[in-house]
Amino acid sequence: MGISRFVLLVFTISMLASPALSDLVLSKVDRRIYLTSHIVRISSTLEVENAGPETVSKVLLAFPDLQAQNLAYLMASPHEAKAKVKVSVVSFPIDVVKPEDMPPGVTFYSVSLPQGLTVGASFTFDVLAVFTQALRPMPEQIGQADIQLVLYQDSAYYLSPYVVKVQSLSLKVPDSRIESYTTLQSTKVQGSEIKYGPYENLPAFSSSPITVHFENNLPFAIAQELVREIEISHWGNVLVTEHYKLIHGGAQSKGEFSRLEPQARENVQGPSAVRYLVAHLPPRAHSVYYRDAIGNISTSHLRGDSKKTELLIEPRYPMFGGWRTAFTIGYGLPLQDCLYESEGRRFLNITFSSPMIELVIDTLIVKVVLPEGSSDISVAAPFFMKQWQETKISHLDIVGRAVVVLEKTNLVPEHNQYFQVYYKFNRLSMLREPLMLISGIFFFFVACIVYMHADTSISKFSASYLAKQQWEEVRVAIQQVHNIICRCLATHDKLEASLRDLSRTGEVQACKAARKSTDGLLKELSKELKPLMTFLQSSPSAVQVLSKVEELVAKEKELLEKLMAKHSTAVEAYEKKSGARDIENRIALQQQKITALRQEVDDLLEFIDEI
Amino acid sequence: MVCSWGGYTFIINLIPMHVLLCIVTGRFSSRLYIAYAPLVVLGTLLAALVPVVGFNAVMTSEHFASFLVFIIIHVVAFVYYIKGILSPKMFKVAVTLVVSVGLAVCCAVIAVLIALVASSPTKGWSGRSLSLLDPTYASKYIPIIASVSEHQPPTWPSYFMDINVLAFLVPAGIIACFLPLSDASSFVVLYIATSVYFSGVMVRLMLVLAPAACITSGIALSQAFDVFTGSIKFQLTGASSNTEVDAAETSSSTAESQTDAVKTEKPEETAKNRPSRKSKKKEREHGEKPSTEAKAEKKRLLALPLESSVISLLLLVLLGAFYVVHCVWAAAEAYSAPSIVLTSRSHDGLHVFDDFREAYAWLRHNTDVDDKVASWWDYGYQTTAMANRTVIVDNNTWNNTHIATVGTAMSSPERAAWEIFHSLDVKYVLVVFGGLVGYPSDDINKFLWMVRIGGGVFPHIKEPDYLRDGQYRIDSQATPTMLNCLMYKLSYYRFVETDGKGFDRVRQTEIGKKYFKLTHFEEAFTTHHWMVRIYKLKPPKNRIRGKTKKSKSKTSSTTSSPKRSGTKKKNPWQ
Repeated sequence: MGISRFVLLVFTISMLASPALSDLVLSKVDRRIYLTSHIVRISSTLEVENAGPETVSKVLLAFPDLQAQNLAYLMASPHEAKAKVKVSVVSFPIDVVKPEDMPPGVTFYSVSLPQGLTVGASFTFDVLAVFTQALRPMPEQIGQADIQLVLYQDSAYYLSPYVVKVQSLSLKVPDSRIESYTTLQSTKVQGSEIKYGPYENLPAFSSSPITVHFENNLPFAIAQELVREIEISHWGNVLVTEHYKLIHGGAQSKGEFSRLEPQARENVQGPSAVRYLVAHLPPRAHSVYYRDAIGNISTSHLRGDSKKTELLIEPRYPMFGGWRTAFTIGYGLPLQDCLYESEGRRFLNITFSSPMIELVIDTLIVKVVLPEGSSDISVAAPFFMKQWQETKISHLDIVGRAVVVLEKTNLVPEHNQYFQVYYKFNRLSMLREPLMLISGIFFFFVACIVYMHADTSISKFSASYLAKQQWEEVRVAIQQVHNIICRCLATHDKLEASLRDLSRTGEVQACKAARKSTDGLLKELSKELKPLMTFLQSSPSAVQVLSKVEELVAKEKELLEKLMAKHSTAVEAYEKKSGARDIENRIALQQQKITALRQEVDDLLEFIDEI
Repeated sequence: MVCSWGGYTFIINLIPMHVLLCIVTGRFSSRLYIAYAPLVVLGTLLAALVPVVGFNAVMTSEHFASFLVFIIIHVVAFVYYIKGILSPKMFKVAVTLVVSVGLAVCCAVIAVLIALVASSPTKGWSGRSLSLLDPTYASKYIPIIASVSEHQPPTWPSYFMDINVLAFLVPAGIIACFLPLSDASSFVVLYIATSVYFSGVMVRLMLVLAPAACITSGIALSQAFDVFTGSIKFQLTGASSNTEVDAAETSSSTAESQTDAVKTEKPEETAKNRPSRKSKKKEREHGEKPSTEAKAEKKRLLALPLESSVISLLLLVLLGAFYVVHCVWAAAEAYSAPSIVLTSRSHDGLHVFDDFREAYAWLRHNTDVDDKVASWWDYGYQTTAMANRTVIVDNNTWNNTHIATVGTAMSSPERAAWEIFHSLDVKYVLVVFGGLVGYPSDDINKFLWMVRIGGGVFPHIKEPDYLRDGQYRIDSQATPTMLNCLMYKLSYYRFVETDGKGFDRVRQTEIGKKYFKLTHFEEAFTTHHWMVRIYKLKPPKNRIRGKTKKSKSKTSSTTSSPKRSGTKKKNPWQ
């Protein structure tokens, strides 16, 4: 059906062919069609000659509508010798035009020549046209182990609104296996190349359909949708995230699946399956990841050198015809590799399309997320595309980040050119987010401090509040009493120590001096104790503990008295120089009482301490 | 808790048990009442809001205990209240009156309740709870509960794997809880006792045991640290004062004073634990201690020698450190490794088996959104989440019949299975097969459960049909029913072509039936290591065409097709 329509169309074109519209003549056309992948590239070298009376600056290129629908990329550049590498290709501007009095079914593109072509002069240039979906699988459904055959249709003659003097065509197919091809006069097959021509002096719009049916087992990887998100962080990173929705666009798989064939004869069978994809990432790409909706995919390899980073990824399963998959790859690039500054504005210079090789993209959406606070945004792109702006709210954003969205359909690797996004950005805005965080945490702490110090009780005169406050005072007083008693006990210990010294050295005077000093200390302490006790007695909320405190004080006094008595008896005994045993006997009784009292005092102290 | 897990019934029974224990041991207080009564009322209301629980919160016997205790606590609270109002004499009279009347009423109510409960076949308990109370219940009546590996009783190694040193600390912690026994510690004791029992019934209730074990062993460790640090503190401060005491002793202190000191300490000693005889002797020498050591004085009765306490403290810390290391290791190796991505270490490094996700990703991207996938219920949630496709049965096992239907289909011959699946509107059938790489938990090993569960609902599936002399085998000795069932066919379809013999690495045998064709299913996808195989149901039209082709030579071709459609309408499970 498709073939017949195409043939019919080509014939109608040739029937309708009207005389050349201008005086240009194509003196030589050399076309080379590369069918080596699923992307069809037609590279033609045209030699234009001006045979008319006027200077001409535009040359029309014609493509039949069916082809023009699939035309992804068209570029005209001055002809160069083959040996030279295409480094600085200056492409000429190309526009779609609809000249009048032209046969229907043909789309025209007009190439503006760098200089007007004067009368009689000639000019040679190259045209590269890249088509997607120009190869039709035939048969449309193949088994898993079958080879994939595709069909390509074109015209043997160069379709042109001008008279073509000499032309030739060569088709390059990937393999020497050619199922069938249209034989015209002067058709030659050399290995994997089919040659038509040369044909001479053909009128404008002459065409002769040819069909080539050949084996093409290269995977037809097509990204139905690719969303690239490029996020710039002025802290030193450009993060690229690419979401792919991939389909195998070749012949549909039919029949039973079997794991045996792909496994047993890895290289031979299931040949058209997409097993892996290769992406050429920019050099110094880091933190590369490869995952999908259900997690990391572990089948990938990354190799890198100073020129490029090569990422080889395998989908979770080998993709046969018509199968789909979706995945995400992401990587970071150092900021200085893609962000530059000129005339007070910054610009991002990064490739537009996917880094995958030989991938056709149906719809590409590129989102450039600029940092918050950027302004004066403009895009410079090498070709036309839809563009608009969005905002994206990310972490710690207030007004959201500006997002430049670019959309383009039907892309081929040739589209992977650099584009620029210009914007203005104040370096100080970088500090906004950290400052926000710092101040937020700071204010939180301040709030905490204020809360801890503020008295949040509702009424200052409620009974419970007052009772609480009084209780606090009582507690402080009790704490002081406790301290004083402890100090008293410490002085008691001193007395005891002096006694021990006495028993060892027998120096009565020193012992007496110690006694005097402790007496003084104890008097002071009891003075300190008095106001506290009166306070406690007067305070109503101290009633429960008052008895205990009083008991403690009384016990302490008793203990002190006993201790003093013991001390004096010991000192007296020493003064009288009585025997050690005698002294001990006299003290023993007192000592017993002292220990008991001491025990009680300790217990009371502990009790009070627990309040 | 109710939202997250059905295990909430454990808590809802544990708390009433604790309350009851408190009441029986005379620890009733208004605190207990305030804590418990609102919990029951609010808890039941909130639980009833959870869809899967709903009215079960008041209907099933699992919740009965809490209500019973709720009534009891009210009665007890009332009694205490009356006791407060009335004089003791009046109270006695009232008690006799109320008890006699109350007993009669209670008997009547209890009789009615028992009759009600006994009228239901499972005594009002759900199968899960019954299988807890009676470990043999599930294997007798509900194969679906018994089939889950985490419902099996755990082995001893799994205890040591999961709770490690805690296994030794738990008994110590229980002892520590008893001295002294408070309301809180009695709860802990109850908690650990019940959870140990439950974890013994089902391995997955190790989850319940874990916090209880942590709490009790924490108590044990805390007590141990208390003792050791206390004795170290005492020994250190004691050492400084020792020199003074020793010096004083030579001259001033007498034998009498020493005996006195012992006397004063005697009552204290009897109250405390009795430490070793040696340490007691040591302590007596500190009769005259400075008052600042008042606190340490009490502790010294428990004091251990300095060196031994330091060493045991270090050992305890070391034990804890090892436990942390073990926990990290267990969390990393046993619990963090996703069972969906398997790894194996071989001499040439780590090998990843990512077959499950491969299959799910394939289903996700290469099948229609409305397609339904049938697989054994283990893979239900995974398929739903990862493949984003509707499944027939999933890990929610409330609907037993559905699972039995799939089990029946898997254990039926191809035709019958096709009809069952077709009636369920299934497009793809997913089986897990580990025979190529030796993945033991595959569908062939689970197959007997499918037979049992299917047979539980559809009696024409009989387990003995699949067993040869009571043995489950898939080699040439296997029964024809086994070799013709769908699960066998889907698992081993074209398996023989991999190595020429069809050697199953899980079962360690060659398979029984090696060469066969599928008529109603076609292979749609098989993962890299053959671990997941997905089959597509052939559309019914193909089947009829095949039939008519055969019968084309015959004249009765027209009559055969309505017959076919007639048989199709009949219930496929009969």
